[in-house]
Parts: sequence; structure tokens; C-alpha cells
Amino acid sequence: MTTAVRQLLDDPRGAAAGILDEGAKREIRRATLTAVCVPGYQVPFGSREMPVARGWGSGGLQVTLGVIGPGDVLKVIDQGDDGGVNATNLRRIVSSTSRCAADTDAREATVIQTRHRIPEEALGEQHVLVFQVPVAEPLRGVQRSSAECDRMHAEADYSAIWVSLYEDIVRNGIITMSTGYPVLVNGRYVMATSPVPRWDVPRLHQADHLNLYGAGRERRIYAVPPHTAVTPLTFDDVPFEVEHVPGARCDYCGSDDSFLVEAAGGRFVCSDSDWCSRTAAGDSDTAAHRARAPLAWLPDPSRRSLRSRPKPGAPGTGAAAPEPQPLPVKTGTAASPRDGGDWMLKVDRVGKIFGAGGERAVSGTGPSFGTAVSPLTGAIVAAWDISFDVAPGEALGLIGESGSGKSTVLNCLIGDERASSGTVRLASVDGGETDLFTLSPAERRKLRIDTVSIVYQDPAAGLDLRVSAGGNIAERLTAAGWRSYRAIRRRAAELLDRVEVPLSRMDDPTSTFSGGMRQRVQIAKALATGAPVLLLDEPTTGLDASIAAGVLDLLRGLLRERDVAAVVVSHDFAVIEALTDRSVVMQLGRVVESGLTDQLFHDPHHPYTQRLVAAARR
Amino acid sequence: MSGAPVLCIRDLHKTFTLHTIDGRTVVSLNGVSLDVAAGEHVAVAGPNGAGKSSLLRCVHRTYLPDSGSIVLHLPGEQVELTSLPDRAMARLRGREICYVSQFLETPPRAGALEVVADAARRRGLAPGEAGDAAAASLRRLGLDEALWDVDCGVLSGGERQRINLAAGTVRPPRLLLLDEPVSALDPDNRELALGLVSSLTAQGVAVLAVFHDLDAIRRLATRVVRMEGGQVVASGTASEILDELEAVS
Repeated sequence: MTTAVRQLLDDPRGAAAGILDEGAKREIRRATLTAVCVPGYQVPFGSREMPVARGWGSGGLQVTLGVIGPGDVLKVIDQGDDGGVNATNLRRIVSSTSRCAADTDAREATVIQTRHRIPEEALGEQHVLVFQVPVAEPLRGVQRSSAECDRMHAEADYSAIWVSLYEDIVRNGIITMSTGYPVLVNGRYVMATSPVPRWDVPRLHQADHLNLYGAGRERRIYAVPPHTAVTPLTFDDVPFEVEHVPGARCDYCGSDDSFLVEAAGGRFVCSDSDWCSRTAAGDSDTAAHRARAPLAWLPDPSRRSLRSRPKPGAPGTGAAAPEPQPLPVKTGTAASPRDGGDWMLKVDRVGKIFGAGGERAVSGTGPSFGTAVSPLTGAIVAAWDISFDVAPGEALGLIGESGSGKSTVLNCLIGDERASSGTVRLASVDGGETDLFTLSPAERRKLRIDTVSIVYQDPAAGLDLRVSAGGNIAERLTAAGWRSYRAIRRRAAELLDRVEVPLSRMDDPTSTFSGGMRQRVQIAKALATGAPVLLLDEPTTGLDASIAAGVLDLLRGLLRERDVAAVVVSHDFAVIEALTDRSVVMQLGRVVESGLTDQLFHDPHHPYTQRLVAAARR
Repeated sequence: MSGAPVLCIRDLHKTFTLHTIDGRTVVSLNGVSLDVAAGEHVAVAGPNGAGKSSLLRCVHRTYLPDSGSIVLHLPGEQVELTSLPDRAMARLRGREICYVSQFLETPPRAGALEVVADAARRRGLAPGEAGDAAAASLRRLGLDEALWDVDCGVLSGGERQRINLAAGTVRPPRLLLLDEPVSALDPDNRELALGLVSSLTAQGVAVLAVFHDLDAIRRLATRVVRMEGGQVVASGTASEILDELEAVS
């Protein structure tokens, strides 16, 4: 114990004030109340310096000091043990500065500060359990950026963590993540369960006691109030399991239904020293404890057998989860020839200006002036007055050289860039009444999951290269709400088979794939949820000739067999000709000509189109 | 002999402007009017550059005419092709109007059966039916079954021409446009192809065709129009027009 702490404990005035002043305590209580009101949500708070090193329980200590009072009885455990150095010192600091009693008996305690365990003893409404949290952010393992983690929580966009569970099962056959297992709290927030073992996770569900979590380093407080639903994240058909060594029994008290840790000589002992010593002395209700123990989640290999690779088209086993609809395929019904109004995607007078001046910048730019730079304001008119629509089962080409504005239009379509003017509408959104630009980023992100898919020129833009081919497809499927591991595997295998990626590579990280193979995986991912709109941005441009030909053939086949509305962006007439029925030719931000693709190729009217065609006829 | 009107072309003009050669203009069609009825085979005869292929391509909208009218008669409606929206035109193609060009313009790296089955699917056949229809169509034109899954790009001119014809006729269309469809065929295969065209006409298909081969015209055409300089200069029975042509040459 440091001299400073000793002085603090010895000084009556310091002890009266406690380690935290009342202002600090108020702030902690305010954060704690917010945390209780929004279960599982991490509330930021102004973490103070504590007389313990950060990482040694400073967050838990602050919460405890914030909620404890003279009438309370404190228990502190570390790894379930009341006698450790850390636990002993924390107990002394709090009890002496807060003038509360201390006890190791969980039945007597009202506030229990803990690291790594939930006591084996029954906890009730009289108990407040305070967790010392080393890593508060459950998404830290899959996302380094705090801002991005915050966004994911805000939008309940948890597919990344589902992919990490998927990848764990693929690599290890089971979910191996042990401490800090992610749970869904109250059906809304994914939360880290601090570093308690999986054994303790079921105890949080509909608990009678209050759980408070304090993370000093990350400056977060969060909570699981009593009677709150806490569900471990797991696929519907992959059971959640707790740690268990068959036949293991506490060498001291004889328990086989408490959390055991391995001791020297292959023996096992209870991790909860209070429980163990009382059980050994006959002072515990072992029958009630057995009813509390997570025996329903003991590992059962017969429920797994997940490692086998699915064969495409093989009938499913088990998986009673609602099976999503099969991949949409063209029905082959002939449409009415006059039918021209059934658009799926409609782009109306879209413009994008980089720079000042707004609409005033437009005059003096475009093909007839040979420049996209406004003579008036110097703004770049990257696109102006672009209109087209695409029907289901139809592919539209967007062709033009670099700088013609085709990528700008595409970026406006997917909302990566905000258009300066015009509207983009989808028939499936609000019956085509709503301009996509008026949607929130979160709503647009949702559209990207199941309505508008995009294949980028660079596969790295559409794939997470650290994740397996199957995992990349799982990302899209879990985002769309798929929760059956087997159904995901089956759909991924079906898609990879369709794009001619060998199933033997399904579980390899895509970083080990060749460029052409990555592009095929990216296409499979784009098709995963059967989105009715598919955007292809120079899909073969980054590939060498023979590989590009294969990908082009694949896309041609896919567009032919599916009822998607596709937009193909390319500078290459050969790609546009192979994939599309109709095309729009762009130059310097304007549409200079549009028509049937073969008509543009055989009878181009605009001088620019004629030059493009001449260039394609090498 | 002929049935209801299928195609009515009126005063069609088409001029190409070549911006790459200082905006030079080339007049291709200069006021063409022409009708084709169901079950009628109208053959267009004339020298090179008379505008025969351009006429077919304008009907198919591979060329966009400058002025004039092309009306396609469908059950219950008449469709003006020159101003039909692109999407609607794309849907008519391969369904109501089939165009068989002299040279196969298939996507690269596709086999014969795939090309023809695709055409059948466009006609609204289910994938399984489409495969059967494609097989029947290829067999009818005598294409060796060993070649059905070979990349069309490596096949001979005669083989490709038959694939092209098989795709265009996998189901009888309303209007069939033929541009020298038998130019590369040997006598036996030519016989099969001409027999097919003749049977389609008999089934009520309206055919507008360009043949250089006068013998084919005599055999198939119910009417012949002679074009010169982008205009129709004469129209009549095969013997009337062709005898006149032969007399001129």
C-alpha cells in the first residue's frame, strides 16, 4: 500500500470525503443510472485517477465508491477468491473510506465487486454486483475504430461480430471464445460480459440482482438491471456451451456443479473460495445451487458435427430456423412489349458539383464547351442532368472514359456521395416515392444489405480479405438477419459453386486468393441476399485478359438467369456490349447519347460515341 | 395468299454522319416504303450498297432511322418501332422480331447449344424446354452434335451461320429478318436452311430477306422488291423482277 493511501486512510478528514469527492460520485451515479435505463449501452464517464493502477480494477472501484454507503456490506473477489492481494486491498480501501462493513460471505454482502466471476451463491434484489472491466467494447476484436464501433452499436449493425463467431466455428468446430463472451442485452445492445467465463453468462439472464460494469481505462459504465433478457450470441443451430471437464470435481468440497479451476497435479478446485469453504463445512444449499448451475449448456459433441463441408444442393439437416427464400431466378415469362414503366431503379436529373456556385457553375461546362470546370466559379461539374431507369431483368450500361462522371453517378446512387441535385428512387422503397438522398445513412446502409448490391473494380473494396470466402458471404447474410449456421454455409457453398470458386477454398482467407478468384467471391457476396439491384463498377478492369474473360462470362450468365436490375459502369465497350441491352454514353459529366447497346455500337450518332466505338474496334 | 399485315414501312430515311471524317454524310435509305404480311416472304434484291441490309437493320433498330415510320402489327396493337422506348424495343427483339445476320454475332466463348437455348429462353421457354428446343433447332439444320458445346468462335463460317439461323428460328417469330443467311453454306446444308425458311413462311411467319442468290429468291419469295440507291425501284413477283434484273445484267 502506498504512503499516500495510508495517509488517506489515517487522515479523518480525507476519510470522511472518501477517495472520490461528492461531485465525482454524482457523475458516476448519473452515468450508472443512464446505464441502468439503457441496458447494455456503454455510457461514457469521466474516469478519475484511482490509487490503483488502471487495469487493476479502477473502473469497478469508482462504481463501487459511487454506489456504496455506510449501511452496506462489501465483498470483493478476484477470480472468485476473497483472499487475493488485489481483492484484499480494494476491500480495505473501500470499507475504510466509506465506513461500510466488509464480509467474504456472499449472503451477507450487499455490494460485491468482482473480477472474473459471479459468486456461486444465489444473488437477490439486495445484491449489487460490480464488475471490473478490462475491455468494455465487445466489438474491439473486429473493429479497431471507436467511432465505427459506436456507429455499429447505434445502428445495431452487428454482422462483424457474427462473422467472427462464424469464423471461429469454421476454424475450430465450436465457438472457442471464452472470457468476455458477447451477449445481446434486452434484444438491443451487444455487450461484453467482462472477463467472466462462459459458465457464468447464463446467470445474467433475468437475474434478480443488479449488475454494474465499470471500465476505468475505456471510461465506460454499463449495466444489466434485474429481470433483463441476456442472450449469448450464437447461431440458432450451434448451441451455446459452457466450460466443463467431464468427471471433474472439487478436490476440497466435492462440488461437480460449480466453476472449477485446475490446480497442481491434475486436481480441480472451486474458483469461488467462499462457496467452497462453506460447502465443505456443510453451510450451503447445494440443491438450490445445482438448480442454478448452467448444466443445460454443458458441451455436447453430438449436437455439433459442424465441420463437414456442405455440398451445394444437399438437403439440410436440422436447422428449424425459418429458411430464407431461395436465390431468385428468372421466371421466363414474356413481358408485354409495351411495358416500359416497370422500373426498379430510377435516376432523375442527378447532378454533382464539386466546389462553389451551385447551379450557376453549370453553364459553360459539358461536352460542347470541352470542359467540366466552371468558367464562372472554378467548380468541377462532375455530373449534370443524368437520368435513366432500369427494370428488373434488364442491364443498363454506363460508358465513358475516365473523368466522364460515371463513377460519380454510381457513388451518388449508393449514397457514398451526396448529389447536388436530382433524385434517385427505388421501386421497392416506399413504392418509388422516396428520394434515396433523403434517407438517413443508417437507412441507406440497410438498403445496401438486401436491396442494392455493388461489385467494385477492386475486390478489396467489397471484401474483408482477412476473412474466409464463406465468412465474407456470411457477413452479408448475418447482416440480413440469417442466424442459422448451416443455412449460411449452404447458401455460401451454393453461391461459391455458382461463381466457380472451388468449395475446397471456402474456408481459406480471401487474402490467399488470386485477383480473379477474389472478384468471383465479391460477386458471390453481392448476390448473397438476392438484392434486386446490382451495380457493377468496372467489374473486370483490374484483371488480366484471360481472367477478365472468365469473370465477364460469369456475369453474363448471372444477369441472364436472374431478375436483377443491373447497372454496369465501364470504359470498355466490349464489357458493355457483352452485358447490357441499353446504354448511356457519358462525356464530361453529361449524357451525350443513349440507346440500345448494339445501336450505339453500329450506329453511333454523337462524335464522342463514334470515337469510343472506333477505339473498341481495334 | 398473304394474310394480315405484320410490317408497314413508310418513307424511311437513314443518313450516316461520320464525325471522325469531318462530318461526311452517307445516304443509306432515301424514302423506302414496304409492307410485309403474315405468311409472306418479301425478298429484297439489288446491288451492293443499295441499302438492303440497312433496311433490315433499321427495322431491328440496330440502326436508328432519321425519319419515316416502321409499324409492327401485334395482336390488338400497332407498335411504331422508330420511336418505341429502348426497353420496349429490347423486349420485342428475339420475341416478336428475330434478326439473322450474315455473320454470327454471339458473345465470345459460348457454345452453340448455349447460344440457341438463350434465344429460346428469351422467347419465354423454361430452361429445360429451352434446351430441348435448341437441340431440335440445331438438329433441323444438321449441325454435328459433337460441336454443340464448342466455343462458336472457333467454328467454321458455315457452322456459325447455321447456329445463327437456329437461334433466330428456334420458335417461329412474328417477323423474321434474314440477311444473307445461307451465304456460307454448302449445297446440302443450304437445302436444309432454305427448307426451314420455306416452312416458316408456310406457318404464317412474315419474312423480310436479303439474298444475293437469285435461285434462293425464286424458290422462297412470294414477292420481290428491287432496291437501288436507297430506294425501292420495283416490286413484283419473283419472275417479273428477277427476269428484269437478269436482262439488265
